[in-house]
Amino acid sequence: MKVSVVKNVLDANDRIAMENRALFDKNKIYVINLMSSPGAGKTTLVERTIEALKDKYAIAVIEGDIQDTCDADRVAKLGIPVVQINTGGACHIDGNMVREALPAFNLEKLDLLLVENVGNLVCPAEFKIGENTKAMILSTPEGADKPAKYPRMFQESTVMIINKADLLPYVDFDMERARRDARATNRGINIFEVSCKTSSGLSDWFRWLEDQIESFKKLNP
Amino acid sequence: MHELSLIQSLLDIIEDYAQKRHFKKVNTVKLSFGKLSSIEPKCLEFAFEAQSKETKAQGATLEFDILPIVIYCISCEKEMKVDAYTATCPQCKGEDVIMVGGAQELKIIELDVD
Ligand SMILES: Nc1nc2c(ncn2[C@@H]2O[C@H](COP(=O)(O)OP(=O)(O)O)[C@@H](O)[C@H]2O)c(=O)[nH]1
Ligand SMILES: [Mg+2]
Ligand SMILES: [Zn+2]
Ligand SMILES: [Zn+2]
Repeated sequence: MKVSVVKNVLDANDRIAMENRALFDKNKIYVINLMSSPGAGKTTLVERTIEALKDKYAIAVIEGDIQDTCDADRVAKLGIPVVQINTGGACHIDGNMVREALPAFNLEKLDLLLVENVGNLVCPAEFKIGENTKAMILSTPEGADKPAKYPRMFQESTVMIINKADLLPYVDFDMERARRDARATNRGINIFEVSCKTSSGLSDWFRWLEDQIESFKKLNP
Repeated sequence: MHELSLIQSLLDIIEDYAQKRHFKKVNTVKLSFGKLSSIEPKCLEFAFEAQSKETKAQGATLEFDILPIVIYCISCEKEMKVDAYTATCPQCKGEDVIMVGGAQELKIIELDVD
């Protein structure tokens, strides 16, 4: 006998992510899922973003990057609530890990939740966590071929942040190619060229993020 | 790397259907995914064999429908299958292309059961 199913295998995760999202919406929290390969600058971007926006918004962070609790300590220094998820060597964060981290926060008070995913270009995009936006960070030393090699990560992202622009004179990074390949996976992707070191380009990213948070608040009054 | 969690989800779905449709044994599980998604059939098979022991799916065969990478060229106004993804049209060498297939998520399509 044949039984027709036609269901995402990750259906259960998708459902948990939807429940997380409902909880975030109820509490008016805008959620960003930050993804990149190890060392591209996720934690540094989290730090810069907190410094820029913490007077305006109540921010919290979920750290899923594996390298011990070092990243969580960096964020906690900025006086922001942070939960380190023990991914136990997992290659991505899933909806349930985020759900289990949430009781540590006072959700009613939050405006923005930054989730730093595990450093990995292969699979984090497959696992929804209830985010409003997936943001990919690509750093210039990694090379411009990444959008073509891992198109799914870019296709799923609303934002591509090209970080370490300060290193452009020293590395072979074909900016046109990175932009073109990323746009071909995803016409609407918003691209920011930044350096978390010199702060160049970061103000455009902060402005975009503020606009997103403000329109989100209008939709969830 | 995350084959274990994929297979656990798959087995949960199968168990759910076994309750609803009252079958005893699964012979074949038909799956589909895009060629560009991060799935390695060999790893899935290995994880499936290990984790399906003592479930209704023990001994079942996995069948994969691997969906091709397809791009649409705006200048040529048509879709083309390609072996590897780049944002260049193989025909006109233009760069106004959109990826339209190849990144589909892992889906369970059909079960053959007794
Ligand atoms: N030159 C340069 N280095 C950077 C920049 N952003 C981050 N880094 C450095 O890159 C390394 C990895 O950054 P980190 O934020 O920990 O990356 P993560 O693994 O993605 O969280 C650190 O040594 C950072 O100081 C940048 O814009 N330019
Ligand atoms: Mg980090
Ligand atoms: Zn994974
Ligand atoms: Zn063409």
